Amino acid sequence: MLFNSIDFAIFLPIVFILYWFVINKNLKLQNAMLVVASYVFYGWWDWRFLSLITFSIVVDYFMGLLLGKEENKKKRKLLLWVSIFVNLGFLGFFKYYNFFVDNFVAAFSFFGQDIKANTLNIILPVGISFYTFQTLSYTIDVYRRKIEPTKDFIAFAAFVSFFPQLVAGPIERATNLLPQFYKKRFFNYSKAVDGMRQILWGLFKKIIIADNCAEFANQIFNNSANMSGSMLVLGAVFFAFQIYGDFSGYSDIAIGTARLFGFNLMQNFNFPYFSRDIAEFWRRWHISLSTWFRDYLYIPLGGSRGGTLMKVRNTFIIFIVSGFWHGANWTFIIWGALNAIYFLPLLLTKTNRTNLEIVAKGKIFPSLKETLFMLITFGLTVFAWIFFRAENIEHAISYISGIFSSSFFTIPKFEETARAITTMILVVIFILIEWSGREGQYAIEHIGEKWYRPLRWIFYATIIFLIGMFMPTSESPFIYFQF
Amino acid sequence: MKRFILNTVLFLLFASIFYIVVLNLWGYYLPQSLKPNINYRIGSYGHMYSRLSEVKNYGEVDILFLGSSHTYRGFDTRIFAEKGYKTFNLGSSSQTPIQTKVLLHRYLDRLNPKLVIFEVYPEAFSLDGVEASLDIIANDKNDFQSIKMAFIINNVKTYNTLIYGLTRELLGLNSPLIEDTIKRADKYVSGGFVEREMGFYQPEKIEEKEIVFQDYQLKAFSEIVEKFEEKGIELILVYAPIPRPTYERYTNAKYFDSVMQGYATYYNFNEMISLNDSLHFYDSHHLNQNGVEIFNEKIIELIESR
Repeated sequence: MLFNSIDFAIFLPIVFILYWFVINKNLKLQNAMLVVASYVFYGWWDWRFLSLITFSIVVDYFMGLLLGKEENKKKRKLLLWVSIFVNLGFLGFFKYYNFFVDNFVAAFSFFGQDIKANTLNIILPVGISFYTFQTLSYTIDVYRRKIEPTKDFIAFAAFVSFFPQLVAGPIERATNLLPQFYKKRFFNYSKAVDGMRQILWGLFKKIIIADNCAEFANQIFNNSANMSGSMLVLGAVFFAFQIYGDFSGYSDIAIGTARLFGFNLMQNFNFPYFSRDIAEFWRRWHISLSTWFRDYLYIPLGGSRGGTLMKVRNTFIIFIVSGFWHGANWTFIIWGALNAIYFLPLLLTKTNRTNLEIVAKGKIFPSLKETLFMLITFGLTVFAWIFFRAENIEHAISYISGIFSSSFFTIPKFEETARAITTMILVVIFILIEWSGREGQYAIEHIGEKWYRPLRWIFYATIIFLIGMFMPTSESPFIYFQF
Repeated sequence: MKRFILNTVLFLLFASIFYIVVLNLWGYYLPQSLKPNINYRIGSYGHMYSRLSEVKNYGEVDILFLGSSHTYRGFDTRIFAEKGYKTFNLGSSSQTPIQTKVLLHRYLDRLNPKLVIFEVYPEAFSLDGVEASLDIIANDKNDFQSIKMAFIINNVKTYNTLIYGLTRELLGLNSPLIEDTIKRADKYVSGGFVEREMGFYQPEKIEEKEIVFQDYQLKAFSEIVEKFEEKGIELILVYAPIPRPTYERYTNAKYFDSVMQGYATYYNFNEMISLNDSLHFYDSHHLNQNGVEIFNEKIIELIESR
């Protein structure tokens, strides 16, 4: 089920009413209902893949219990590896099988050995990368004794399958989300209103910014050979806003929806395009994944401890694995490596933790220096997105060589100039709103806080109107569903 | 909780009123480029306004033509009149069964045809029906059928245009239009036909595609067929001639034929008459007047030989 669909607009109020009005007195029933709702939500796409989630839930629930009882270190490690093997095994099969087969065949043929291996026509289950990492974090944390294994199967099933964040995150940690299923939840007016506001802003980001930018980004990337350098630059910028609007919009809707049910999910995006260096960008972009890799990969590898070579190795590993997590394509690996290259100078000069606070905190405008650094960081990010969006490496290289040509200095020409200009105006309005709200959890969290209610309502109704007026006529799925 | 529900309901009410008011002001004052999701154009392409104005006072007919632009550009009412048939052409651009149903609901009883020739084109079954719905909303008086159509199509552009159109009608903002009979290369002919200035087509290869039936289009189509059966009106389904490259692009054309044959008497004219892509068509879809004459003569021959 898509958040930006009529189905979800009907589904959400039904679940909300049942949850707060019909079974509000019984915590176990509420959790069970969330599991059922989550299964309906996921099954709407393809019910057959519910068996995969169920299998993950069952395996990790029992692994958790066994890890809790077992004291023998070797056996504990074995149990952990069983959980990792099962979870990553599914992920590996559904997401990476064809990639590995293709690359093995290519590698052998490079050395003159022709081998035959068939690829399979595999459907990638929506959200598999997200819930696999979420459930893995549970067994790892139980193994590390950071969390007690749960005996409440329903609560655990609700934690793994919680519908707001099931298919595209935020990738929650058991330490944060699981205990929320144990406690009785009380309806909180401010929290619910805040949730609604965040959903509205998420929809604006997805429908207005991401979907409109997508039309131009797709047009330019799909016909990049015939585009001028200036158009190719615009295509990459459009994609930068598409992916930000799409993914952070999804996270906002997920967090807002969870708030309606009394849950707090972690912040997943923190105004990444206002970052002054790449390290800051990675602290603000897809936070739940970055911190997952930090805690479960980077630190176990040695993190920033050890010599320079070790730090460089670990940085490359984490970025490349993060890239590969996004998809079975060399483009994602290059994208990850490129970000590691960006990150390296900061790490080596120990300036990777310089910009911890949001830019120009408490001020209206940034300084000239801050503006310059933000633009440079944005430029680097946009450049890396070209690899992320390209069909393959050749496409990315030809796209980039197209940019660095004499046509870079020509005036961009769109098939629908008026629509392109309108989209650019909407993006500028969006940037201004994001800038003004950058000190909150999401842009419109505090906008209008002190206004009279009618004025505040006009502001929200205007957002709804803009969605109705500028939404593309065809419904588009979220990009991160494919990861 | 009560406060939350109450405020949500109040806000939704407020937002709905706000939406309607701003939508109308926006639609009225701003240029088309700034209102991509309102497309209210009275007297637009295809002479729909003239056709719908004429049908209201046309009286009963012998034959009624229904379908897409292949219909209003393919069935010349003058040729049929010469043979003694009073006909009306109720085709419209990209008309899908959903719009056909609306038009029949409004005009079938008034026209009371003895025979209906329903032009069926594969795309009409796979389209979402947005374009044709906007044509009807802008050029005809809206009623409950328009609202029902909007809900079936479920597209923001259709909703917005309908809200805008309904408000304009309620406030009496639409002054009667006298649409030019000749617009660019098109000439409106009494009875709903549109004659295109003579032109010739340069055929080119067209990408292959599969015919996909949208469930809701097929459902509307079945209901239309049932309606004719109930009223005892004879129905003939016609796949009008199109240039060869356009016809051959469909990889499952035989399947389309078999589906249509299951509904009523069906003639696929692409297999029945031999036309020249350059000499008898003016673009990749439509017959020029030479082609129209050949096609219509053949139809009349078939009708008379029944």
